[in-house]
Amino acid sequence: MTGEVKRSGSTPSGNPALTVSHLSFSYPDRREVLQDVSLEVRSGERVGLIGPNGAGKTTLFLLTCGVLKSDGGDIVLFGQLMKHGDFRPEIGMVFQNPDDQLFSPSVWDDVAFGPQNLGLSEEEVVSRVEESLSITGVLDLASRPPHHLSGGEKRMASIAGVLAMRPRLVIYDEPSASLDMRSRRRLIRFLQSSPEAILVASHDLELILEVCDRVVLMDEGRIITNGDPSRVMGDVKLMEIHGLEKPHSLVPHAESHHRR
Amino acid sequence: MHIPDGILPATVCVAGYATSGAATWYSLRKINQKENPREGIPKASLLTAAFFVASWIHIPIPPTSVHLVLNGLLGVVLGYYAFPAILIGLFFQAVMFQHGGLTTLGVNATIIGVPALLAHYIFRLRSLVGNDSRVATGVFGFLAGASGLGLAALAAMILLITTVPVVVDVEAERASIYALALAHVPLMILEGIFTALVVLFLQRVRPALLEA
Amino acid sequence: MRLDVDEYAHLDSPLHSWEPRCKLVSLFILAFALSFVQDLRLLPAMLGVAFVVYVASGLPFSFLTTRLRYPGLFLLVPAVLLPFVSGSTVLLSIGPLALRQEGCLAALLIVTRFVSILTITLVLFGSAPFLTTIKAMLALGLPPILADMTLLAYRYIFQIGGDLERMETAMGLRGFRARRPNAHTLGVLASLSGSLLVRSYEQSERVYNAMALRGYGRSQRSFGGAHKVRSRDAIMSAGFLLVAAGFVGAEIFLRGTGG
Repeated sequence: MTGEVKRSGSTPSGNPALTVSHLSFSYPDRREVLQDVSLEVRSGERVGLIGPNGAGKTTLFLLTCGVLKSDGGDIVLFGQLMKHGDFRPEIGMVFQNPDDQLFSPSVWDDVAFGPQNLGLSEEEVVSRVEESLSITGVLDLASRPPHHLSGGEKRMASIAGVLAMRPRLVIYDEPSASLDMRSRRRLIRFLQSSPEAILVASHDLELILEVCDRVVLMDEGRIITNGDPSRVMGDVKLMEIHGLEKPHSLVPHAESHHRR
Repeated sequence: MHIPDGILPATVCVAGYATSGAATWYSLRKINQKENPREGIPKASLLTAAFFVASWIHIPIPPTSVHLVLNGLLGVVLGYYAFPAILIGLFFQAVMFQHGGLTTLGVNATIIGVPALLAHYIFRLRSLVGNDSRVATGVFGFLAGASGLGLAALAAMILLITTVPVVVDVEAERASIYALALAHVPLMILEGIFTALVVLFLQRVRPALLEA
Repeated sequence: MRLDVDEYAHLDSPLHSWEPRCKLVSLFILAFALSFVQDLRLLPAMLGVAFVVYVASGLPFSFLTTRLRYPGLFLLVPAVLLPFVSGSTVLLSIGPLALRQEGCLAALLIVTRFVSILTITLVLFGSAPFLTTIKAMLALGLPPILADMTLLAYRYIFQIGGDLERMETAMGLRGFRARRPNAHTLGVLASLSGSLLVRSYEQSERVYNAMALRGYGRSQRSFGGAHKVRSRDAIMSAGFLLVAAGFVGAEIFLRGTGG
């Protein structure tokens, strides 16, 4: 990969990007997957979503994107109600497995997919693709097929595809899963400089600590608590009850060797 | 069943493209009549790829091994998408491995694809007995698999025999036709059994795959 | 199995730099014209044309010979059988077997057609990245459903192929050996195939969501297969089409004169 083009980063402003109110959902063959879930993401804010497997994080994401239909509750995205099946390019989602998202035969084709569907002119498509590929540092991989990419390259390429639609809120579902150290560090730096509002679900609690302004803890389809990352994740009892562990860097050390 | 280039005269090849074109047109029309035709495309495409890969699995028949055609199974799982799937699969096989031919693509697709569609209908007859019955699923799976291969092999044989130049000994020709037909019976049974096993697996693990 | 028929697509030759749609149409028509030939007097011309085109493409001969081997096996049956069973003019008697003239000539025709057609199609698909050729096909007017299916299937063949390899390795490491077509082996292999299908099915739901979220279906996408046609491309096409027409014309003429 080439280096990414540095972006400006952001400060949270007052306007809500996403407001989820009292959302409930269940799959036909299972009891409630989500119960009375409410959360908010403001413009430019970076929110982390943590919780054990099966907490309902991916389901929540699919609901906020309009892919699934809720049983009750509302989703308001940038001031407009989100209904099942709506196409709202202001919200983008980076899937857990890049192979599910890199469905075109080449990286270039994949990143161009979104802009083409937006009905943009050819010149605009090309410009957006080049911009997204530069931002994510994968411009030199443009003509490669996805199966020739490494895990880290696939991750950044799938992000490029989502960013090409110029979303104002990006959801990341386990973005650092299976990444090597270098790719992970690259991803963290990338997320830290994102101007969009982001909502990140991750088991990588250190990533959440480094990237997010606020963290939401979810378990068994419910929101447990919501607040400052160090405070929430530093509460050992709370974390353990919900199948998580306090991140290493928050554990008091005899010799302080962390930056924080 | 995968007839290579050069064997068949051009008229047959062109006719093959015509029949494939018609079958494709018919399939696409049926697909477009569905509520949300686009929704089925990723499913059909990934399954096309999966079938393409699955046909690489070697079934040991000492001293060698065979690759199954699985057109019956494809018909069961994909329904109307089966014909485009087979057309595309054969195209990739011809280009990537030189298995089958490009002038004969139309012919091969017709020979293998039409029986796949028929196999789908045969499998649907399962509902007469009851979709949940494992015995019915197994039996109709077997019939779908065996007929898929059997019809394809029969069509290929008829085609080859009628295009081959005059054979001198009619008796010998008849005998060899019977011998060829007989040779395919074990293969039909193998495809039938394998199809039945896969269909039973799918019924247990993901029955939605059998509701094309 | 080697999947990369376009391993030499990076070379440079008049065939390599020919506009993809022109190349596709011209070579395809030529291949069909060759399959039209039945008169034996045209066989040397067929081989000659195929040879010239192949040499012009700069593709190594090893590429051709390796790729002819597998389909050549299928040709073996008619090639060996026909001389003994077809025709009435006996050339040579070896015990109970009789080598017949018509059969020999028929075999020669089939083999020559096979070699020349395959040479042309190998040049077609070997002189450009496979994806480029597919896109040229799509740009020539394939229905959108077929186009989408072709691209998606192509993309996932490699991943699913990799999945199969890993699953087979895992099975092997746990002692599975496919030796006889008994119930156990067939059951395991059927489960393997079934697993591939189920995994692909489940993945396809996620892929559909990913596509829908990025606007799948909202507008007609172009696949980028349309390149500029220069005069050089058109002239080459005209040349090839003339050769193709030449074969068809010669064949009809020779048939007419009772050749």
